Amino acid sequence: MPRPALGKVSGQGSARAGISHLDRDRSLVEAARRDPERFDALYRRYLAQVYSYAYYELGDHHDAEDATERTFLAALANLGRFEERARPADGDGASTFRVWLFRIARNVVANQRRERRRRPTAPLEAAAAVADPLDVERDAALRDDAAEAWRAVGRLPADRRRALVLRFVEEMSTAEIAGILGRSEGAVRVLIHRALRAIGRDLVRKAKPSEPGR
Amino acid sequence: MTLPGRDAGEADALLTDRYLESLLAAGDRHAEDAPAEARLDDAVRAAATRLRRGLVRVHPSFRFEERLANRLNEAARSMRLAPAAGGEGSVAVRSIQPADPGDFDPLADPDSNDAVGRARPLLIGGALTSAAISLAGAAFVAWRRARPLRSPMARAARAAHAERPRRAD
Repeated sequence: MPRPALGKVSGQGSARAGISHLDRDRSLVEAARRDPERFDALYRRYLAQVYSYAYYELGDHHDAEDATERTFLAALANLGRFEERARPADGDGASTFRVWLFRIARNVVANQRRERRRRPTAPLEAAAAVADPLDVERDAALRDDAAEAWRAVGRLPADRRRALVLRFVEEMSTAEIAGILGRSEGAVRVLIHRALRAIGRDLVRKAKPSEPGR
Repeated sequence: MTLPGRDAGEADALLTDRYLESLLAAGDRHAEDAPAEARLDDAVRAAATRLRRGLVRVHPSFRFEERLANRLNEAARSMRLAPAAGGEGSVAVRSIQPADPGDFDPLADPDSNDAVGRARPLLIGGALTSAAISLAGAAFVAWRRARPLRSPMARAARAAHAERPRRAD
């Protein structure tokens, strides 16, 4: 069965599930290879995604900035080593620039965590404030949702948390997450399913005590 | 041997995955939820809709964005200049990387423990090798100077050398 849904074609309705086997960054990558100063376009496209991922992983604004900086500098320095492998025949080794970049980010974050000898903290409330200041200030319920989601995700084991962040925050496909985490698509699906089930049960447990008589 | 539990788990995971696809697509249309199959676990659905609302992208500050953009441009310029000067582009970039990455390979799999220290043996090995060569060279010169010369030619050369200061006197 042919594999990867690496590049999602976003569009109307069911077109979202369509599969493109071309790396949408190909032209930008080629331009950056010819002229490193053109790397700026790739940087602008992925800055928020990489930073967001690092922030969810490290839970600290300064650490996230540090990891983001290292990721992009490493990507620029190693761009010559990137190989696009986005065809179905590439199977488990499939990779696009975004997958490759996030693999670097994942390694940088792991290295940073090792250096500082600490587990990620759960600066959950703080995140809600940074996330989307305009919306959050307008609606306290949204802030609560964000804080609660942070708390729930923060309690998960690292691999489940990582998979959920990539799925929900970065809106990556299962194939992309599999490429980044170095697992099969099936394993990623199970990881996400279990994480959601754990969070769902947690939510149900918390909701129950306040129900009677209120 | 049958693996009914595993099959059921994978089927549920696939169901969840399909639901997430439609949920994320619904988000593009600013819809709160998406239709789901009846077999989908209610807890999974509740968690997914909650996370969909709560897990938002975090943006860096504009100041950071511009600072890093400048740094990358600087690095890119040095990559262009280095080959023109006959050097290696990667060397120029490495020199402006933040404090530590020289010790780890950002492209290695972090779970394999290769990410950290993969470059280190090469670096340490290189340093050790050059230090060893230097030490061996110094030791050889010292040994040569201290060693009594046995060949007639060497003895003649030494005698001629010893004669020189006397003639000057």
